[in-house]
Amino acid sequence: MNTSEAKERLVLYRGSIDDADPQFEEALAHARRDPELAEWVREQRKSYDTIRSKLREIEPPSDLAEKIIRKRPIPFRRGWTQILKLAAAIIISASITAVSLKLWQRESHRLVQGKEIVVKGEVLDMTCYIAYNMSGPEHAGCARDCIKRGLPVGIKATDGKVYLLVGTNWRRRESLNSQLAEYAAKTVTIRGKETMRDGFAQLQVEEIRKS
Amino acid sequence: MSVDPEFETLVKLYYQDLYRFGFSLTRNEADACDLTQETFYIWANKGHQLKDLGKVKGWLFTTLHREFLQMSRRQERFTDEPISDVVQDFPQVSADVVNRIDAQTMLKVLGQIDEGYRAPLVLYYSEDLSYKEIADVLEIPLGTVQSRIARGKMHLFQLLTETNHSSCQSK
Repeated sequence: MNTSEAKERLVLYRGSIDDADPQFEEALAHARRDPELAEWVREQRKSYDTIRSKLREIEPPSDLAEKIIRKRPIPFRRGWTQILKLAAAIIISASITAVSLKLWQRESHRLVQGKEIVVKGEVLDMTCYIAYNMSGPEHAGCARDCIKRGLPVGIKATDGKVYLLVGTNWRRRESLNSQLAEYAAKTVTIRGKETMRDGFAQLQVEEIRKS
Repeated sequence: MSVDPEFETLVKLYYQDLYRFGFSLTRNEADACDLTQETFYIWANKGHQLKDLGKVKGWLFTTLHREFLQMSRRQERFTDEPISDVVQDFPQVSADVVNRIDAQTMLKVLGQIDEGYRAPLVLYYSEDLSYKEIADVLEIPLGTVQSRIARGKMHLFQLLTETNHSSCQSK
């Protein structure tokens, strides 16, 4: 390696940060033998240190950390295993409700099915809503992802009542989740049949309208 | 809403470095603040996906850089010349010359350098990242990073020399 080749390598050398980097090893050994090159390296490092200290003088506004911590909503750290367990629990609960309802209807045909109602409200990702009380526009992205993934979807009516949404739009041959994902955290109007089981409200969706 | 103490620690640990990087990319305080906030917001949403917590700093810098690229919505083409071509024309700038320049002027000078060179150059100077880490942050090959730093450094030295000359002449 000659001096010019050593300089090619050492032009990027920053001192202690790069000491362990093998690409500089040979060039540094050369600099130890060549006083002129050694002086060049020293000068390079000095200007590196000075530029570095100038750049590190830049300070953010004093309230930035506080703003990040306090003013931005901080979504939870999600463990997907936990979420899937919770989703499974909600789905099982809804399935039990649906099967019980079917059996109940079979046994007693004269009984009227769920009452048809129209609910206007926010489309919820039920997993995040129940587990973490997350909803609203700040949570829209997460809710859309969760609904797209097939996690339970619900609606929070303007009076505060929450319904688990079930059903398929056979006319459009689309699952409920794929129809509602784009409306996550937005307001829609849903017509359907309301059923209750142990205080748990669900809505068999008949029609979805943008509000 | 309660604050996650881990999140708070992470913010306090890295917000200054991220802001500095954001500021040198955008040259605008408000944009740098937005980028920093957005980066931590993304962390709060997606940080759990990072398996190796030792890579948090790199992850945050990569995210900020991606956000910046999205913000600027353009990625210019750069000539990645071999370092040997760069070294031949390399101007020497003494530490004394640099010392005469204040931080704001330094930023102004950096701002005149193309973003594709500026980002690796700022990481090279201000953060204790290896070349491999800088390449990972910017999502470009290692050789390209080194070539851009060498090229950017040469440009920076030329600009610093010019700035120094013009300030001497004005006195």
